[in-house]
Amino acid sequence: MQKKILMKIENSSKDYKMGEVTVNALCDASFEIYEGEFIAILGPSGSGKSTLLNIIGGMDLPTQGKVFLRGDEINKYNDRKLTAYRRDKVGFVFQFYNLMANLTAKENVELATEMCKEALNIDEVMESVELGDRKDHFPSQLSGGEQQRVAIARAVAKNPLMLLCDEPTGALDYKTGLLILSLLHKINRQLKKTVVIITHNMAIGDMADRIIKMRSGRIVEIKENASPIPPERIEW
Amino acid sequence: MRKLDVRLLRMVRHSKGQFVSVTVIVAVALCIYILFSITSTNLRNSVDYYYKITNISDLTIQLVKIPQGALDNLQSIEGVRDVQGRVCVDVALEVEEEKERVKIRLISIPDNGGSINKLYSEQKVSMKLEDNSSVILLEQFAKARNIKIGDVIYPRINGRIHSLKVSGIASSSEFVYLMENEQSLMPAPEKFGVAYTSEAFAQSVFGYRGSYNEVLVTTETDADIDDVIDRIEQKLDKYGVKKIIKLEDQLSNDVLEQELDGIEMLSSVLPVMFLTVAAIIISIMLSRIVNNDRMAIGVLKALGYGNRIVLSHYIKYALAIGLAGAILGIWGGMMLAGPISRYYTVFFNIPLAGVKIQYGYIFYGILLTCMFCTVSGLLGARRVIRIMPADSMRPEAPKSGKRTFIEKVTFFWKHVPFSWKMVIRNILRNKKRFAFLVLGLAMAYGINTVPLYMKDAMMSMFELQYGEYQKMDYTIQFNGPQNERIIVDLNNLIEVRRIEPRIEYPFELAKDWRKMTVSVIGVPRQTAFHKFIDMKDNVIILPESGIFITEAIAEKLNAKKGDTITIKSFIPGKDDIETKVTGIFKQYLGANAYMNIESMEELLLEEQLITGVSVAAQADLKDELKDVANISAVNSVDDMYRAYEEYIDLMLLAIGFYMLFGGVLGFALIYNSTIIGISERTMEFATLRIMGFDRKDVYGMICRENFVMGGIAIIVGIPLGAGMIKGMVESFSSDIMTLPYILKPESFIQAAAATIMFVIIAQLATLRKVYNLNFIDALKSRIS
Repeated sequence: MQKKILMKIENSSKDYKMGEVTVNALCDASFEIYEGEFIAILGPSGSGKSTLLNIIGGMDLPTQGKVFLRGDEINKYNDRKLTAYRRDKVGFVFQFYNLMANLTAKENVELATEMCKEALNIDEVMESVELGDRKDHFPSQLSGGEQQRVAIARAVAKNPLMLLCDEPTGALDYKTGLLILSLLHKINRQLKKTVVIITHNMAIGDMADRIIKMRSGRIVEIKENASPIPPERIEW
Repeated sequence: MRKLDVRLLRMVRHSKGQFVSVTVIVAVALCIYILFSITSTNLRNSVDYYYKITNISDLTIQLVKIPQGALDNLQSIEGVRDVQGRVCVDVALEVEEEKERVKIRLISIPDNGGSINKLYSEQKVSMKLEDNSSVILLEQFAKARNIKIGDVIYPRINGRIHSLKVSGIASSSEFVYLMENEQSLMPAPEKFGVAYTSEAFAQSVFGYRGSYNEVLVTTETDADIDDVIDRIEQKLDKYGVKKIIKLEDQLSNDVLEQELDGIEMLSSVLPVMFLTVAAIIISIMLSRIVNNDRMAIGVLKALGYGNRIVLSHYIKYALAIGLAGAILGIWGGMMLAGPISRYYTVFFNIPLAGVKIQYGYIFYGILLTCMFCTVSGLLGARRVIRIMPADSMRPEAPKSGKRTFIEKVTFFWKHVPFSWKMVIRNILRNKKRFAFLVLGLAMAYGINTVPLYMKDAMMSMFELQYGEYQKMDYTIQFNGPQNERIIVDLNNLIEVRRIEPRIEYPFELAKDWRKMTVSVIGVPRQTAFHKFIDMKDNVIILPESGIFITEAIAEKLNAKKGDTITIKSFIPGKDDIETKVTGIFKQYLGANAYMNIESMEELLLEEQLITGVSVAAQADLKDELKDVANISAVNSVDDMYRAYEEYIDLMLLAIGFYMLFGGVLGFALIYNSTIIGISERTMEFATLRIMGFDRKDVYGMICRENFVMGGIAIIVGIPLGAGMIKGMVESFSSDIMTLPYILKPESFIQAAAATIMFVIIAQLATLRKVYNLNFIDALKSRIS
């Protein structure tokens, strides 16, 4: 079957100014993301994974190069269009969940869906992440795993084209991490959402359809995984 | 409700201490605005209403004598609506306490009560007298002296004591402010009163049979008042017009207007100051919140919220403060407007024409608050726009560290203790915020200096006028012009250290089209009682000819030293004369012109005639001269001083009240900025604690910063306060009073002490926050 290209990243680079130092975070990255795919971007910290993810998600613009969504060049978007892109096409999941501390679990999800035209039913989404009975709790009353599930619900409920996850298991223990990975896997397979995970945990690559390896801001390898294994069987 | 708004509400709840303290400032601003705006409008309406129902005279003409029949001539003048004559003379009143000197103005009213300046009593206008031996007493005076209907008063007229029964008590629109003359600084209703007598009585005892010495005139609404005056002057020339007083220059009305202007000024200046301070705090607060929310802002943007929505989320916080404060303040202002309006009308002795809430003020109040809050919100939260979602996920890059300019002065810097080095660096780290805080605090300091200045000004106004510029103990006024020989008689009668003749007579001074009626006083050239100080603080001596005028007159006539002005005599048969302004001198109470007595006699009066004397004496002249004919008044500087002191005591209360305003502002600024500072620098303090600093050290560091700020604010505040005082001098000075622009170091020191005290109180209020900070927790969490 012919795979449809969802996103195309072309010779993208990114430099940051941190105080008085310029950091070369991403160098000349090129690859495609196909619709419905599960991609793992692997690499040690500082390898440029997050920068790449931010550029894909319209959180940041490349200093050089082009980024296309279904042929549309998003790096040429103005701020308003970029905001709309983030709102309608992308769902983010962060390592530290980044929930609004003064909103309950359900309100955190609503915060995201209020802006979207094609949002999913919040209660159903909350049920699907198994938080139906915890939805009125504030983040401080939830465990790390629960918080991450709220964050996933928040990303999914917007009904985006793809989920971009930045070290989603990075702050969790092994068991909770596996649960989160299963959830992401389920969303990918059942809801047909494209999922891009970045992680320094090589083992997670085993469940992805494709693995992109990075080092020092460069893509060093792009590998197809012919037989991805279910997350329950991953060990680290 | 939208979830961002839910978040906003919870944000408010989370920072309720600060939210409330800023809300209170906004509320105070709005309360003052609404309260005083509504009160001043109510008062203006009440005054207008009162003037209308009592048919107040548009012109009061004082003349030597005018026969009743001549009034009809006036009636026919174009623009004149109504005319009424009266006899008006000040006499002494005999009271129980022998030493006490009370003066009463006897004013005649027609038998039917008259149609102009009608008396008012309990919703009733136009009161009539019972018979020729009864009087109607002015209410303020009756109250102050506890005189009731049926009581008898004993005025001394030409040496003879009359007994007059009080048949009624009423108030009058021409004595809303009961003051004897321009030289009296404030009402003293127990020392000076007004009684209305029958025409027949007044005319007979004062020798005005069939005639009057004052004429009241009302004009047609569309008439040009100055044209009417010109026409009246021509018609009345032969009757010896002394003075024509327009309603706007009438003493009571003038003081009342000043009071109303004062209330109006209060209603605009104070709220703007309070709102400015609130705006400073809000913008600092928001910049802190935005900084803290950096990651949350990033998440919001990642979720697809645009800059406009995120920015307005934070501006809404500022608006929430504004609206909460506005609602509270408007409510308070509206609640207080009724009682305060009523209090003022009782104080002014006028009927209240109803308390109306003018909704326009509420609208403007809310609009003004929203403007202030939106601008401060924008200033504080504008950084939201610059936050890129991807950047916000990373810890903020440390600010580029640089040596401050002070550090370049190595010799100095080497000797600064470490803890002070941190203080200096902290201050210079956020210069803009520091500047704002200093400005706000300087404003609070400035507000403190103004009431202290007012106290000084009032005090020195009196001391300068009667200790420096005029040194007599008494001024004695005669019934009419007397031959100079009277001085010899007086010298025989009383023991005096020094006695000087004086002529005091009203004249109209004119230059081009500008004119002003003032008392021109003639004194000997080598006078020992009068000292004239010019605007450059030099002593000037009266020349042979020419005239000295006060600064206020010079301004009104637009006259400079050397200019020629016209002195227009009201005395029948005397021509106008031209004379040179030979000096402009300082005088704070009343507006007078001075001339050499000889040239004044020559030019304006008959030779060797004087109207009074100035005396330096130890004895109680008032007592000794009370039975002497030809003397209409003995004014004692001592009496005035005592009345003045009472007034100053009253003022101290008001001063305390005003200083509280400055205090509230200073407190709010320091309290909020300290709380914000503490929460911003938790990490830094935690690190210090781990390094071995204890709570006291950390608290000491914050204190030092605040005191450095306070010190600089006071330095900045000195010129600011001086400026505010200058504004006060300009807005409060009028024809009859000029506030001296004196800057006493004591008041600035007192204001500084008050400011420092408020800083200390605010500082103490934050003590608990510092001591309760969990430093270890602060170190653990980097994520908000």
